[in-house]
Amino acid sequence: MEIIILPLILSLLAAFIGSKINKTVWGLLSFVSLFAMVYMKQHYVVHNDGVWHNTFDVPWFSNGIHFTLGLDGLTGLMILLTNLLVPIIILSIQTNNQKSLIPLILFMQAALNGVFMAKDGLMFYIFWELALIPIYFICLLYSSQDAFKTTIKFFIYTFVGSLAMLASLIYLYLKTENHSFAYDELLSVQLNYTESIWVGAGFLFAFAVKIPIFPFHSWQANTYTNAPAQGSMLLSGIMLKMGLYGLLRWFMPMAGESIAFFQPIVVLLAVIGIIYGAVIAIKQNDLKRLIAFSSLSHVGLIAAGFMTLSAVGIQGGVLQMFVHGINVVALFYIVEIIETHAGSRELSKLGGLAKFNRTFAVIYLIVVLGTAAVPLTNGFPGELLLLKSVFDYNTVTGVFAGLTIILCAVYMLRMYQFSMLGEAKATLNEIGLMKMIPLFILVALVILIGVCPQLIIDQISPSIQKIMLEISNSKGVLS
Amino acid sequence: MIGILIVFIGAVLVLFLGLNKPEGGMKTLSSLLLFLAGVMSLLESLSILNFERLSNWAPKNMIDFSNGDLMFVSLLAFVTAAIIAIFPSVEEKGSDRLGLMMLSLTGAFMMIGADHLVMLFLGIEVLSIPLYVLAGSDKHNLRSNEAAIKYFLMGAFSTAIFLLGCAFIYGGSGSLSLSEISLRMSIVGHLSEFPALIKVGVILMSTGLLFKVSAFPFHFWAPDVYEGSPNKVTTFMAVIVKIAGFVAFANYLQAFEALASWYHQWLIILAVCTIIFGNIAAISQKTVKRTLAYSSIAHAGYLLLFLITPMKANMWILFAYSVAYALSTVVLFYFNDKYSTPKEYGFGMFSGLLKNNQSAAILMVISLFSIAGIPVTVGFTAKYYLFTSAFEVSPLAVCIALIGSAISIMYYFKAFKPMFESDESNASQAQAGKVNFVVYLMVAASIVFGLFPYLFERCF
Repeated sequence: MEIIILPLILSLLAAFIGSKINKTVWGLLSFVSLFAMVYMKQHYVVHNDGVWHNTFDVPWFSNGIHFTLGLDGLTGLMILLTNLLVPIIILSIQTNNQKSLIPLILFMQAALNGVFMAKDGLMFYIFWELALIPIYFICLLYSSQDAFKTTIKFFIYTFVGSLAMLASLIYLYLKTENHSFAYDELLSVQLNYTESIWVGAGFLFAFAVKIPIFPFHSWQANTYTNAPAQGSMLLSGIMLKMGLYGLLRWFMPMAGESIAFFQPIVVLLAVIGIIYGAVIAIKQNDLKRLIAFSSLSHVGLIAAGFMTLSAVGIQGGVLQMFVHGINVVALFYIVEIIETHAGSRELSKLGGLAKFNRTFAVIYLIVVLGTAAVPLTNGFPGELLLLKSVFDYNTVTGVFAGLTIILCAVYMLRMYQFSMLGEAKATLNEIGLMKMIPLFILVALVILIGVCPQLIIDQISPSIQKIMLEISNSKGVLS
Repeated sequence: MIGILIVFIGAVLVLFLGLNKPEGGMKTLSSLLLFLAGVMSLLESLSILNFERLSNWAPKNMIDFSNGDLMFVSLLAFVTAAIIAIFPSVEEKGSDRLGLMMLSLTGAFMMIGADHLVMLFLGIEVLSIPLYVLAGSDKHNLRSNEAAIKYFLMGAFSTAIFLLGCAFIYGGSGSLSLSEISLRMSIVGHLSEFPALIKVGVILMSTGLLFKVSAFPFHFWAPDVYEGSPNKVTTFMAVIVKIAGFVAFANYLQAFEALASWYHQWLIILAVCTIIFGNIAAISQKTVKRTLAYSSIAHAGYLLLFLITPMKANMWILFAYSVAYALSTVVLFYFNDKYSTPKEYGFGMFSGLLKNNQSAAILMVISLFSIAGIPVTVGFTAKYYLFTSAFEVSPLAVCIALIGSAISIMYYFKAFKPMFESDESNASQAQAGKVNFVVYLMVAASIVFGLFPYLFERCF
């Protein structure tokens, strides 16, 4: 509860007196939630035993709908990611004239924390929608061009998805014995095969739009490109994870009865997305668009790994969720710096920036290598586990998914080469130390997780075992 | 019972006291009287005050307000008070418009409390006749005249059909009292005697009410009438008539519960058609008022879904939906009235609103969210309750309603485009004007009810 209330209070404060206080102060203030989160973790999760501990529970709507928040390893990792990235995103704001940006980001933080902690179906839906509102306004108010058209497409697309999820949730709710939205109650509902397919399809549609999985991705590139840098960071760094988290925590256990039906479809679509995103990324000129498509490709791999339903795949996927959040935010941060300091984010107008600022060049290179999953960077362990799981599931899809390593190296190194190396076509102005500090933090994480991924895997594996147990339990109903 | 008396006496007072005075003077009196009526009914429905002796004057078999009915009465009184308070008064002399509006509200109360088909019919007439006059009250405007004559013709037809339905039901069941009919219908075997008469009667009466609530296929008058009538009257029609219509609809259908499985079939079809038609037609509208008119048709569709749920236990859901619909619709009509000019009455009227008047922009955004049913506003809560209860009867219809509310985003959010543009060419002077404090209260209420949804169920 603390980490929902705190950002909300900060958001209100920022809305009223935000313009009087420097944005850096807000950035530092928002670190408070991170500390609150660590405190909560200490307080509620004494043993990391995979149980989703209740941290807050009051009755809310009429019968059976509680305001319940839970915390376990998986949720803990997700809210760690959220509360770590949000201050960095706030610190990345370059100009002072974006008055309502900080309150919106802080509001978004509260909603995102809610999504990851919600232990009640309706609350999950409500926070899911609430997270959509600030990002919609961030994109609408600060977009570069054609804002209304892209944002309304994004909004309606995701809104339709969430309504499908709501229909599934209501169906499950009406099936529970004493009409309750509590996670465990929803989980204990036994559906027959047809029902389960419909319920699962509702969930899957919502998550597939958000992730996005291949045919539902059409909102993504334009929204990312037109959104302000902070919007892109929020969308790709944290909001995508909502979809993946939902897939793991809600879709897979709830639709366990028909998971065998969805498994090949989702894996196939995800693998198509991996290759499709990577191939398109190679041809991009606009740096933001390039990262958007690279993100489509990476996230596809995580979804595929989840749907193999193996411990290795899910573990790698969760790790990769965290890692992808860090890497993609770092990349968008770098693009933002290049755009403001070199005047353009088009590869054809850039080049040879490395010689203007060596430190920046090194940091950029480390992030690029991390994204391309070079050993000892954070991208490597997750990607390896994911590829192993996909390979075990089906050799052919494994081979195709494996192409991502090569393709990713191609577009990432191409991006680095054309912007930083070669003949200088643009100049990079002096970058202030304050702007570099968030990048240092991110790069430190890139290396730290690359060297000892076990830090994170230890945290998440008990919860993952529990989720796998839940999936196999509901599968067992039919067999 | 106290509410209806206060409003009726108030209507007569305002009519005569304000006969030759400007409307502004009577505005305070009438909205205060309505507010009083609202408070009294609320207290009575919560059993804090007791007016039993007063209620005993009325013949119980004709009109009888249950506690739930009284909640609706107080809601309608509050909303009418707000409508009268926030809309600017007309400059011409004569406060007869306010008096007529209150008289019409009396009719709405009669519809809500009616326990007898004759009383229901009287209520509909008392509600409608002042509205025919009000629709044409902007008498120098051609559109307003058109609206009045259209509304009058349509309304007269629909009440005639309604009356014919009453006759059939009397023929089939031998009674006009709803509780008596309900009793006779529940006797096994009675229904099989005159099934056709009763079914035809129910269909004809429903036709009359569907006209009033502007549901498919009897909705064609609504956009024209709404557009032509003065803004204040349009708001009154869109909110009060619709809510009273649905409460009456629910009350009288309850008497025919034995036929539930039969009328569910065609109600579901009508609801789905209304939702699809209202939402799709709203997308292509150019003027704000017409868009809101079609949106109110779509909402009639959602409310029709209520009629297929077990109504008696669920009246509080209808109440929640009415609150949600009334709060956001009144606020949106208010902003439409405030910012439209003779030249600009499309969505362009909001251009640059965020820059010129930030608080107005925020109020409008919240109201749009509420009417679109986005969480933490009462709009979501009400839709959630309504859809969940209808889901048990017809999952498919609810799925279509969900798709409908996704479509509705397309036209509600159309207002955002001009609102957030930093276009300064528009008349920023007009937009800078202060927003009435009642509007703040209404928007605050729509968030409070969204955050504490159990208030509805507990109070009912």
